[in-house]
This record gives sequence, structure tokens and C-alpha cells, in this order.
Amino acid sequence: MNTQVKKLRVAVVGLGKMGLLHASLLNTLPEVQLAAFCEKNPFMRKLAKRTFKTTFVTDELQNLSIQNLDVVYVTTPIPSHYPILKTILSDGIASNIFVEKTLSSNYEDSKKLNYIFTQKSGVNMVGYMKRFSVTFKKAKELLDNQALGTLVSFDAYAYSSDFADVPKGSKLSGARGGVLEDLGSHVVDLALWFFKDLTITSASVKSFLAQGSPDSATFQTEAPDGNKGTFNISWVKSGYRMPEFGLTITGTKGTLAVCDTDVTLQLGTKPLKKWFRQDLNDNVGFLLGDPEYFREDSHFIDCIIHHSTSESSFESALKVDRLLDEVAQKAGV
Amino acid sequence: MQLLVGDNPFHDISHLSQERARTRIIEESDLQIAEAANLVKASLQTGATGFMFSVSETTLSILKSVSQTEKLELYAIVPYAYEYVRLATKTGGISGLAKKVIREIAFSSNIIAIAPNTLGVVRADLNVLLKTYIIYEISRVKAVSGKNAKLKSVLLHEIITDMALALDLDWLLKSYITFLKKRRIRPGFETRNFTYLVDKFEEWNIDFSEITITAPFNRVGFQMNPSKTSCEKALQKVAGAEVVAMSVLAAGYLKPAEAAGYLKILPNVTHTVVGVSKMRHATETFRLLEQEFARSTSQM
Repeated sequence: MNTQVKKLRVAVVGLGKMGLLHASLLNTLPEVQLAAFCEKNPFMRKLAKRTFKTTFVTDELQNLSIQNLDVVYVTTPIPSHYPILKTILSDGIASNIFVEKTLSSNYEDSKKLNYIFTQKSGVNMVGYMKRFSVTFKKAKELLDNQALGTLVSFDAYAYSSDFADVPKGSKLSGARGGVLEDLGSHVVDLALWFFKDLTITSASVKSFLAQGSPDSATFQTEAPDGNKGTFNISWVKSGYRMPEFGLTITGTKGTLAVCDTDVTLQLGTKPLKKWFRQDLNDNVGFLLGDPEYFREDSHFIDCIIHHSTSESSFESALKVDRLLDEVAQKAGV
Repeated sequence: MQLLVGDNPFHDISHLSQERARTRIIEESDLQIAEAANLVKASLQTGATGFMFSVSETTLSILKSVSQTEKLELYAIVPYAYEYVRLATKTGGISGLAKKVIREIAFSSNIIAIAPNTLGVVRADLNVLLKTYIIYEISRVKAVSGKNAKLKSVLLHEIITDMALALDLDWLLKSYITFLKKRRIRPGFETRNFTYLVDKFEEWNIDFSEITITAPFNRVGFQMNPSKTSCEKALQKVAGAEVVAMSVLAAGYLKPAEAAGYLKILPNVTHTVVGVSKMRHATETFRLLEQEFARSTSQM
């Protein structure tokens, strides 16, 4: 009996930091063959050609259509997602698509992409990797088990120092699509994962680097059950060695605080409970960056093999883009 | 078991708590190089024999001060990934970063050693790029280390090691080993995938006795991927290698005595690296570890 299973042929579009990370992790999975890279930058393309002798390297997306691909990973800057995904879908380059968050730059484009995808078969996923963090998973489990009773309010934050000491007038941040999409989308996705649905009630967005550059945002939300939320997002905050994300959630029974490193639960006068990553079995098959990236990629490949819907599909990512558009509208951006 | 003092606290790193790392930045932003150097010196005087550090302006300044009075072995990790990720943000991505680093190397004082590799750099040959970069980093370390400090090993940072492992770049790692051996420096690899590394190196016929491996080993299995058990099993295959246990306190989750209790029972671990941020930690931790390991040796 032939037990050899055909490997999934994967292409990675965009050989930046995230492209290299996903390519590396995918190559450790026995079900995957790295078949092609697509990269516009001549230096990176030259480097890839010399380094990966058996992998097809091109600068033209259309050239991937003859590569008999099963999966495409799109890891380019956010503003380029829409045209790239549209080409992949219209040219039938592959039936399974992973794209780094956000799905596109705006809700309208994301809706179009999702609609086109629903006309086809395959699995899609948007890279909201925080859902695969052991601490945020633990928080979700506690919330699903009604540990806090009826939810009353929450505070969410996403901070980084990425552009804290970048000179004013710099255009570097623009390439990343703005603080809401680049940084805020993660915590908005987590909030939607936890609380299902939210509506923006007020919002303000500030620029620091250049006129019209969205560098920090504060906005308020309300859920159908009355749970009120406040979000604070900034990539010009000093003192953050790495980007940080977190939520503090208050319910009728107590308070839950969750961030990348730990989860804290305070229920009335009971002793405080705290779980660190070390307590939550954080090991993975291959660790590169954070463990959540490996879990995310393994999950997506599993979904393709088993024809199931991914944890963070285009459909669920649409809600993030809708909310971010609402923030921009309310803030008059 | 030899003890090394690590540099994580000098870079405001805490894998246990982001809040603690931030507090360190606020509280210790004024921590002078001299104070950090005193911590390293105290660690060396209470049992540590070497300093394991990512090559950065901060650690080179510490090293310059320490090596004036202390004899020590150096374990240099390159590149200092955090600084390069920050630079990539500022230069608009990896290609921008690569160009900046190449420019920096070209204008460094070691141009004579680097010049023969120019063609390979222009051709984007990863092998040549890596060697050129390593020459540059070695020259930075040697420029400040004086005669008291011996550069024992240069270790590839986990991001580079693990990416090369994942992408099956055996030719690159083998070439790096040969290159450093010729310079009488032990080729080293920092990894958070110890089992995967051991399996791949066996498959690629890499001689363990020639290399240094640094990987997490701690009682709770933190960052011992894919599992604590598999990493312990893999340890049995690396007789002759220099194995440095890191994250032995599981990022501050364990006490030094708990760490020592576990490390003592592991085969083939030759070194332990621990970072310290306060003078009391430095003296207590290294004294305790030295006593624990000495006791275990005498009982053998």
C-alpha cells in the first residue's frame, strides 16, 4: 500500500520578516513543500534565488499560476493585500489562501474579497495570531465558562515603540497601513473573539509622525449585551521593547486581566489566580518568533487537509475591518 | 559544570512579565555601564568563568570595563536581533536593513579583511554575507576585550540558527563551522529547538564535539520544544559537545536552587548561563549554583 501523501505546494508572496518566518515554519511541517517565492525587491529576490536552488523565485504574481500551487501565503504590506489577493483569486493561482492581517485596507475591499472567495472552494485565513497564544486562549476559555458572570466593561490596549523615536515627517509608517490596521487590528480581533459583536460609539485618531498619519487612537465600543469597551492604541509610545497587547475585563463576579505573558483572575474576595505562559503548556513543534505562529500555520494546514473552516477566516476578519472603518469614520479621518 | 553570566537584564528583557521588563526600563534606564560591569565582575568573582552576551554597544562597553581586571571567557551571540529588527523598521524592511549593515561594515576599520568578499556581497551570496558579517562582529569584540578575555565561542542567534534549521540550509551552517574553526573559535548555535537541531545535525553529519549549543533547560520545560522529554532524550546524543543551558530559571519562574536540582541530573550539560540584575542576585545566585554543582561532582 502506498502511504506517501502528496505534499501541499505552497508559495510565499513577500519575503520580508513575516514571509521568512512563515516560510521557515511551513518548511518544518511534513505536509508542506515550499514551491515558490514572489518578491518585488531585487536584492531579496537575488538572495532567495541563490539560497533556495529548488524553489521557483519570481517578481511577477502571474508567474505563480503555472506552479500548480495548493496554497499561497501573502505577507506583503497591508496596502498591497487587495490587488494581490484579487489576482490570486481571479487567476486561480491557488485555492487556499493565508494573508497576514488585515484582510485589506478597508471594509469595502475586504467584503469584495470575501465575496469572491465564497464563489470558490478552499480554505482561507487571516493572520490574527494572538488567538493562538496560550494566555489569550485561557482568557477565552474563562469567559466562555462565564467565570466573570455578566460582562460589564473592558479596557483594551495595543502599544509599541516602533515609531517612538522616528523623526517627524518620516513616511516609513505609511507603508505599514496605519496604527489601527497594523497594531490595533490584533486587539480588536481579540475583543471580537471574546465578545462576538461591537459597535463604535466614539473615536479619536491622532497624528505624530506626519500630517494624516494615524499614529494613535482611542475609541469606545458597546456590545449588544451592554458591555462597554475602551481601546487605546499607539505605536509611538516609549518604553515598549516589544509590541504589547492586553485586555482588562470586568464582570458582575470579578475582573480578568490578560496580556501576552499572563492571565490574572480576581473573583470577589477569593485569592487572586494567576497563570503565566510557563503554566499553560506553551511548547510547540518548532519555535520561531512566538509559539503562536507555529500553531497558526499548523492550524491552517490542518484545516486544508481536513476541509474545515479556519479559526480566523476572511468572514471573521471582515468584522475587524468593519470596526476599524467605523473608528476612522467616527474620528473623521 | 561551568557557569556563565548572561546579559539579558542589561537589555531590559523579561520573558516572565512584560510589565517587569518595562519597569526595568524605567528604573534602570540610568543603570550605568559601570554598574552592569560591576555585576559581571561580582558574578565572575563568585563562580562564573565567562560572559555570554549579544554583541551590542552596551555589552561591548561592559566587556571593555570587565576585561581590564577580570580573566574571562567570552561567548558572543550574533546578531543582536532586537537591534536589527528595530533598524529594519527604521530602514523600511529587510533589504533596507541589509544595505545599511553592508554600508556599516564597509566603513568599519576592518575593511582589509572584508574587501576580498565584496563580490559575494554584491551577488547577494548568503554564505559570503554571513562570513563578512561574522568577521565584522569578531573585530568589534576583539577591539574591546583586551588580553584577559578569550573569545571562546561565537554563537549564531536563535533566529538565524532556527531559520537555517527550518529551511534546511545545512551548507550554510557547515561553512560557518569550518570558517570559525580556522580562526580557532568554537562555532556556536543558540536555539529554542534543541531536539530539532540535534536530529538535523546528526542527519547532516555535523561533529558535536566541535561545537557549542545553547538551549533552554529548566524543570518546568519552558521553551523546551517540542517537549521537555524530547529535549532530555536529545541531550543523550550530544556527548562531547559544549552544551550551555539557558532559561534555567524559566525566565524568573524558578528559584536558583530549583534550577540547580534539575540541571544536576541532566547528562552532557557542560555550562549554565544566568542573567543577574542586582548585586545581591549576582553573588547569591552564582555562589549557590557553584556550591550545588560542586556537591554533585563530589558525590559522583
